[in-house]
Amino acid sequence: MSDTSNELISWNLNGEVVQNESGMTIMEAAKAHGIEIPCFCYHPGLSIAGNCRICMVESNRSPKPIISCSERIAEGLEIQTDSEKAVDARDSVMEFQLINHPLDCPVCDKAGECVLQDHSYEHGPDRSRFVEDKNIRHTKELGPTIDIWGNRCIVCTRCVRFCDEISGTSELCVVERGDRSVVDVFPGIPIDNAMAGNTVDICPVGALISTDFKYEARVWNMDRTTSVCGGCSRGCNVEVEALDGFVKRLMPRENLDVNDWWMCDHGRYGWRHLYADSRQVTAQTTEGSVLPAEASKALQQTLESSSSTGFLVDPFMTCEELHLVKQLADSMTGSRVAGWLPADGTEESFPGGFTISAAKYPNRKGVEEIFGADVFGSAASTLLNDIASGSVDTVVAFVGGHGFDGAGAEWNAALSSAKNRVVFTTQQGAWSEGAHLVLPATAPLEKEGVWINEDNRAQRVRSCRSLTDQNFPSELVILQEVQAHMELRSRSLSAAGVFRELSESSSAFEGHSHSSLGDHGTPLSQKPAAVGSEGGES
Amino acid sequence: MTETLAFSSEAMKKYEWLLTRYPTRQAALLPTLRIAESEFGELGVPQMRYVADLMEIPPALVFGVVTFYTHYRRAGVGTYHLQVCSTLSCALRGAGDVVQRITERLGIGTGETSECGLFTLSKVECLGSCDTAPVIQCNDDYHEGLSLEDVDALIQQLRDEAGKGSA
Ligand code: SF4
Ligand code: SF4
Ligand code: FES
Ligand code: FES
Repeated sequence: MSDTSNELISWNLNGEVVQNESGMTIMEAAKAHGIEIPCFCYHPGLSIAGNCRICMVESNRSPKPIISCSERIAEGLEIQTDSEKAVDARDSVMEFQLINHPLDCPVCDKAGECVLQDHSYEHGPDRSRFVEDKNIRHTKELGPTIDIWGNRCIVCTRCVRFCDEISGTSELCVVERGDRSVVDVFPGIPIDNAMAGNTVDICPVGALISTDFKYEARVWNMDRTTSVCGGCSRGCNVEVEALDGFVKRLMPRENLDVNDWWMCDHGRYGWRHLYADSRQVTAQTTEGSVLPAEASKALQQTLESSSSTGFLVDPFMTCEELHLVKQLADSMTGSRVAGWLPADGTEESFPGGFTISAAKYPNRKGVEEIFGADVFGSAASTLLNDIASGSVDTVVAFVGGHGFDGAGAEWNAALSSAKNRVVFTTQQGAWSEGAHLVLPATAPLEKEGVWINEDNRAQRVRSCRSLTDQNFPSELVILQEVQAHMELRSRSLSAAGVFRELSESSSAFEGHSHSSLGDHGTPLSQKPAAVGSEGGES
Repeated sequence: MTETLAFSSEAMKKYEWLLTRYPTRQAALLPTLRIAESEFGELGVPQMRYVADLMEIPPALVFGVVTFYTHYRRAGVGTYHLQVCSTLSCALRGAGDVVQRITERLGIGTGETSECGLFTLSKVECLGSCDTAPVIQCNDDYHEGLSLEDVDALIQQLRDEAGKGSA
C-alpha cells in the first residue's frame, strides 16, 4: 500500500486528464478510474516487488515501457495502458511466462481462478514458438497443508513476501536462479504457521496447492456464500464455497476494517465438524424421534408445562435468534436467561497486523447487547444455583459451535441434573443424552443473521446451506413457530425481518438493517444515514 | 553431523569485523558464507543452518542465497568443481564442445558428480574472462583459452594431483 497524502496530481491516462492523490502508483490510480492493468507479483497487501513485468505501460517520460505497479503518478505524466507499445510489451512478457509453464490447466486446481490463465486468455499467443524442452521443477510437500507444483511457479514471490511481511515466519524462499528458480522451504523446516493458507490464495497460479482442497472441486462448479467465519471474535469476512451442498473450502474476503485479505488456518480448515458423524440431525424426545413439522409443537408443550424456565444461550447464536429467545423469555413469567462461554484459546498476533482472537466464538457482544453485560457472569451463577436448588424446573439450552465439548463441563453437569431439559445441539453428547427434547442446532456457517465481533462491528452471516438441503428447520424458524403457537406472533419472518424487529426494539441496534450492514458490516455505534435522507434513492 | 559446527575463534573475529562493515547483519551474508565455506569445506544443510542461527536470519533466506549463486560450494560437490562458462563469448568459442568432452571423459552430465567423487560438472554464466574464452573455473582457479586437448590435459593433471592416477 502506498503512502498517499491529499495533494491532487493531474496526469494523463489514455489521453484524458485525470486527477489522483499524490503518492499513488500508476496501477492504483488507473484502477480508481476503472482501468485494470494486469499484475502477477503486485498484491495490495504486500510490498512492491516489480519482478513480473506484466503491468508495463507506455510513458511519455521513458523511452521504454515502465512498470505501473511501482512507478508513481506525477504532474504532467502521460500514460498509455493500451497503446501498441504497451500491449506488445505485455504480450512479450506473457510469451516468456508461458515458455516453461506446463499449461496443465485441465488438471490444475487453480484453473478458473488463475491469474495466469486469465491473462493468457487475454494477452497470450495462441501457439508457442518454443520448440525446446520445457524445464522441470520440483513437485513436493512444503508443509502439512501445502504442496508446491514447481513447474507452474512464475516466481512472483508473493508467497515469500507474505511469510516475511505478514505472518513473519519466513519459511519460504526462492531457490536456484533463472529458469530453474522455484519456491522452496529450508530442508527440515516446513511452512507451518496459522496463516499459511493465505499463500495458496495469493499464489496467482496453481503452484501452491492446498492439500485440503486438492482435486476436491472445479472452482467454477461451486456455489459461493458471502459470510463471516465463526471461529473467533475477529469475524473474518469469508466466502464459503460448496459443491452439491457440501462445503469444500473457505476463502477470505477483503475487508480492510476486519481481516484485510487474510484469514487464519483454524477458521479456514475448521468446518469439518459440519459433517461429523455425531452431528444431531433429528429431533428426539425420550420416547422417540419427532417429525420436523412437530418439533415446535413439542417445544411449546414443554414450555407450557414448565413452571419456571431458564434459557441458556451461547455466543454462536445470531442476534436474531437471541432476540427471539428474549421475546419468549419476556412473555413467560418466572423465566430467566443466562449464557455460557467456551473456554478461551490463545491469542495469536502477527507482524502484518493480523490477530486471531483468544475468544473462540463469534457473538459474545451480541449476547451482551441483548441480555445485558452480566449474562455470562452473575446471571449464569444464578441460573446454575436455580437449577441445583430445583427452583428452575426446565432448561432450554443452546449448545452450538463445533459442539464437541457441549457447553463445557460445569454446564454439561448442570444440564443433566435439570428436571426437564430441552437442548438445541450441533453434536450429540452427554449434555443431550436423556434430555426431554433434543433439537438439531445450526452450526456457525449454517446461520442466517448478524454477529457482532469483538470490535463491536455488526456483520451479516449467511447460511451455506440452500433452502432445499436444510433437512431440519433452523432455530430461527422453530423459535418463531413456538411464538406463533403461543400467540406471540402472527407470521414468521426472514432473518432480515427479525432483525428489523430487533432494531425497532433496541436502541443499540436502532437504525441498522441487513441491507445497511451490507457485505462488510458496520460498527454498531455508527448509525447508517436514514433511507431517503439527503436526497438518496431508497 | 555428529560434531557440532562452530566457527574457529579466528573466523569468528573475521565475522565480527565484517558486521562492522555492513549496514545490517543480513547484508553481511555473502562474505559470511565465504567464511563458512572455508571453515566447513562445504555449504550443506547443517552449515547453512549454522550461519542462519549465527546471523539470526531465517534459514530459508540463507538457502535461497546459497542456491542462487553458482560460486558457493554446495554439499556433495566433488573435489574438483569444473564450472564451464557457457555465456556468449565462451559459447561462440566452443564451450558446448568442452562440456561434451568432459562428459565423454568422465561419464557425467552437468550437475552430476563422478562416481570416484573427484569431479562435479556445472555450466555457469560469464566468468568475466571473455577475452580468454572458453573458460573453466576449477575450484578457485581459472583455466583459459581451452582447446579440447587442454581439457584432457586438465583432467589428467587433476587426477594426478589427487594421487589416484587413471588408466
Ligand atoms: S509459488 Fe505462487 S506465489 Fe509463490 S512465487 Fe511461485 S507463483 Fe508466486
Ligand atoms: S481469525 Fe478468527 S474469525 Fe478470522 S479466520 Fe481465524 S478463527 Fe475465523
Ligand atoms: S505487477 Fe508490476 S511488475 Fe509484477
Ligand atoms: S562469456 Fe565466458 S567468461 Fe564471459
